[in-house]
Amino acid sequence: MRKFMFYPLLAARNIRRNRQFYLPFILTCVATAAMFYIMCFLTLNDGVRGMRGAASLTTILGLGCIVVGLFSVIFLFYTNSFLMKRRQKEIGLYNILGMGKGHIAGILFFESFFAALITLAAGLVLGNLLSKLMLLLLCRLIAFSVPFGFEVSLWAVTLTVLLFCGIFLLILLSNLVRIRLANPITLLRGGNVGEKEPKTKWLLALLGLISLGGGYYIAIVTESPLQAIFLFFVAVLLVILGTYLLFTATSIAVLKGLRNRPDYYYTTKRFIPISGMLYRMKQNAVGLANICILSTMVLVMVSGTVCLYLGTESSVNDAHPYDITVFVSNPTGTAREELRSAVREALAGGGLEMSAGTDLLYLTFYGRLENGVFTDANPYGTNAHNADVVLISASEYAGMTGSTEIPADGEAYIYADNARLGDTLSAYGESFTVVRRLEGYPKTSQRDALISHHLCAVVSDERFVRITRQFESPPVWYYAFDLAGTDAQKTAGYNAVVSAVGSTARSNGEAEAASGHYDYCNVTSRSDWAASIYSLNGGFLFLGLFLGIVFLTATVLIIYYKQLSEGYDDKARFAVMQKVGLSRPEIRKAIRSQVLVVFFLPLGMAVIHIAFAFKMITKLLLVLSLTNVSLFAVCSLSTAVVFALIYGLVYALTARVYYRTVR
Amino acid sequence: MTLLEVKNLKKTYATRFGSVKVPALTNVSFTVEKGEYIAIMGESGSGKTTLLNIIATLDKPTGGEVLLDGSNTLRIPDKALAAFRRDNLGFVFQDFNLLDTFSLRDNIYLPLVLAGKNHTEMNKRLIPIADRLGITDILDKFPYEVSGGQSQRCAVARALITNPRIILADEPTGALDSHSAEALLALFRDINASGQTVFMVTHSVKAASNAGRVLFLRDGEVFHQLYRGERSNEALFGVISDTLTAMAAGGEANA
Repeated sequence: MRKFMFYPLLAARNIRRNRQFYLPFILTCVATAAMFYIMCFLTLNDGVRGMRGAASLTTILGLGCIVVGLFSVIFLFYTNSFLMKRRQKEIGLYNILGMGKGHIAGILFFESFFAALITLAAGLVLGNLLSKLMLLLLCRLIAFSVPFGFEVSLWAVTLTVLLFCGIFLLILLSNLVRIRLANPITLLRGGNVGEKEPKTKWLLALLGLISLGGGYYIAIVTESPLQAIFLFFVAVLLVILGTYLLFTATSIAVLKGLRNRPDYYYTTKRFIPISGMLYRMKQNAVGLANICILSTMVLVMVSGTVCLYLGTESSVNDAHPYDITVFVSNPTGTAREELRSAVREALAGGGLEMSAGTDLLYLTFYGRLENGVFTDANPYGTNAHNADVVLISASEYAGMTGSTEIPADGEAYIYADNARLGDTLSAYGESFTVVRRLEGYPKTSQRDALISHHLCAVVSDERFVRITRQFESPPVWYYAFDLAGTDAQKTAGYNAVVSAVGSTARSNGEAEAASGHYDYCNVTSRSDWAASIYSLNGGFLFLGLFLGIVFLTATVLIIYYKQLSEGYDDKARFAVMQKVGLSRPEIRKAIRSQVLVVFFLPLGMAVIHIAFAFKMITKLLLVLSLTNVSLFAVCSLSTAVVFALIYGLVYALTARVYYRTVR
Repeated sequence: MTLLEVKNLKKTYATRFGSVKVPALTNVSFTVEKGEYIAIMGESGSGKTTLLNIIATLDKPTGGEVLLDGSNTLRIPDKALAAFRRDNLGFVFQDFNLLDTFSLRDNIYLPLVLAGKNHTEMNKRLIPIADRLGITDILDKFPYEVSGGQSQRCAVARALITNPRIILADEPTGALDSHSAEALLALFRDINASGQTVFMVTHSVKAASNAGRVLFLRDGEVFHQLYRGERSNEALFGVISDTLTAMAAGGEANA
């Protein structure tokens, strides 16, 4: 019986004794398990699936599940390898004291077993407690009423248990392999194997600079949003590669360069930091690059999704300037009057009042606008020169504005929003002289955020008809208005309009019965649209914040482990320096400057990355219909500040651990 | 001329809760003349290392005083201690205590850099020392790339480069093979012959037999001392061995 209990007892004792290393490891495990559970819970939750726009939301959350799962595997491996490195000496000692590798494997098995048990128990409890909170947050973000009740998702529990048992099994296996391969002496010497000074790898250093520069270059020169989608990934990959190389190779090349200048190097201020950094870079370059990339990811994700979310209202306004939009394709004859009165009757029947909006028949075509010259070729080019033109006939213009002045034949009035058009406009074989430039672009939903330039041209009726004839798609009638009253009244109004005219088509066959005809009629409500956008952007924000927290936790833990391990490495070094004549305050100063650089280098680098990525991200946000650049600037800046504050706090806390270790 | 004077030194270590007091030095007094080569011998736990640490100002005694050139080292304020060590003492340790992060050259420069010397001056001082110690060719290597003997010679260079008043050596041959140990001891004799005061703590009879005077420490007191006189190293070796045997057999002090 005692023999049977030996391994579990020893394993439990080991975990307690190594708690300085084990506690953060188990906390990491618990936190990742809880997060994975929550993500699964939300993805599988019936309430979430029943929400408006659930399809896109579930996809986003499912993606989140995969990311958190993958992240758990990688990150737990990383923390474990750190843990094992620190414990090599202990394991070597067991070996020397006469334990076979089988015995050690037994101890390790029970350690993993206990760790897995604690992780799953605490992780699932924590996950369940937080899942309701997260559901509340998600519902709030996507402006959806909160479902009542509390539930435990068995599926999510099963997935979490499977994933983490798998991870612990893999970790155990890798530890066993590590021990099998090592002999006791190397284990006993543990971390103190003579570290070689890193070699300068000029090629890699250069490659790092080129790769980083390339990534930055792409981010700066890309103008078209559609190109940005693809190029963003290229740029991200280049920057990630560049960051790794920069930290591993370029930094060493630079530091060695500094060291080779005796008059610069041999001063108290620089002597210890430069050599210390050089030494550390080899061990920690990858860790620092990881921190840098994780930080960048947190910053991009959080600032992007926050901005997207905050901009939802304005992007809804862009796409849907009015409460109700009636969109009619190719109305002829008296179709407009008939539909108009049908809508009025439907609203009046419900006692609802409409206020003025836009009532406009127009033709849209796409093209390119370059150097003030519009060409109707290449309607969907993927560059920054694409433009659209909203073409209005003179009589429509007169009806809309009440103006008596109208363009004559061959003349055009131009509303140019952000486009610079020269003095002529030619399209589809017609050319016009621009005789007047108008203020105030008519409000329609014809504002594709991906199109860089918007033009609106008023031409004579004959010319309008001529262009219409040779154009493959017919003109559309855009009839939009606001409703007075509460949200419920607006919904009632929308329903009334839909039942009166909505989603109908009046074909030529029926045209004999009615005096006017149209191809189809479509009624949309702004609140429906807003709900779907909120669900999408809210989902993104939720995921952004959630993953932001996950990655931040990871960053914090990497920093903690780094400080701890460096503390152990530096302890002996500073003891020697003290004997040779370095005073305590001097040691403190040297430590501080070294730690500060190592600590804030990744953060600084991350901020530089963000600064370069800024323009490209604004282009990406355009694809998601967000046009407000200053909003994104504010979001990025405030995210960076908040992140820096948290980072600084973590620094202060872990630096204490470091000093305690070194002292 | 007296360089170092140790008077009635006492050191008692208390356990963590102060209930048990363990005496390391009960009452130690001796003097070291300028240019002397003195070795301290004793068993483990006799207080050798405590004594060295106190002389090195790395530890404080519970009683007594240490005078270097007539001034009390215990009165030096904490802030000035590091500078004092740097300017007056040179250290050679059993495990070399070279820093992995520095090349041998930079390890030797370390105390001078800390003292704010410029590079030309440092280089001027290093050249003759490196030449004398035979490490000129390996100066740009790193500690893990050279042998123990070479590391220790580099440590000696680090101790010498500040022109210290006294070299404090703690088991300098402890981690070396017999060849390297022999070479290092020859080096110490040579350094001493050029006027450098050397104060060495050692286990090794061989090492001690190089000194001009040997102090034997037991249970925190100077138990006995031997002068070389006109004896050769071999003769001194014999006398030291006999003394140690007598001490081990439990003889009384007869100094």
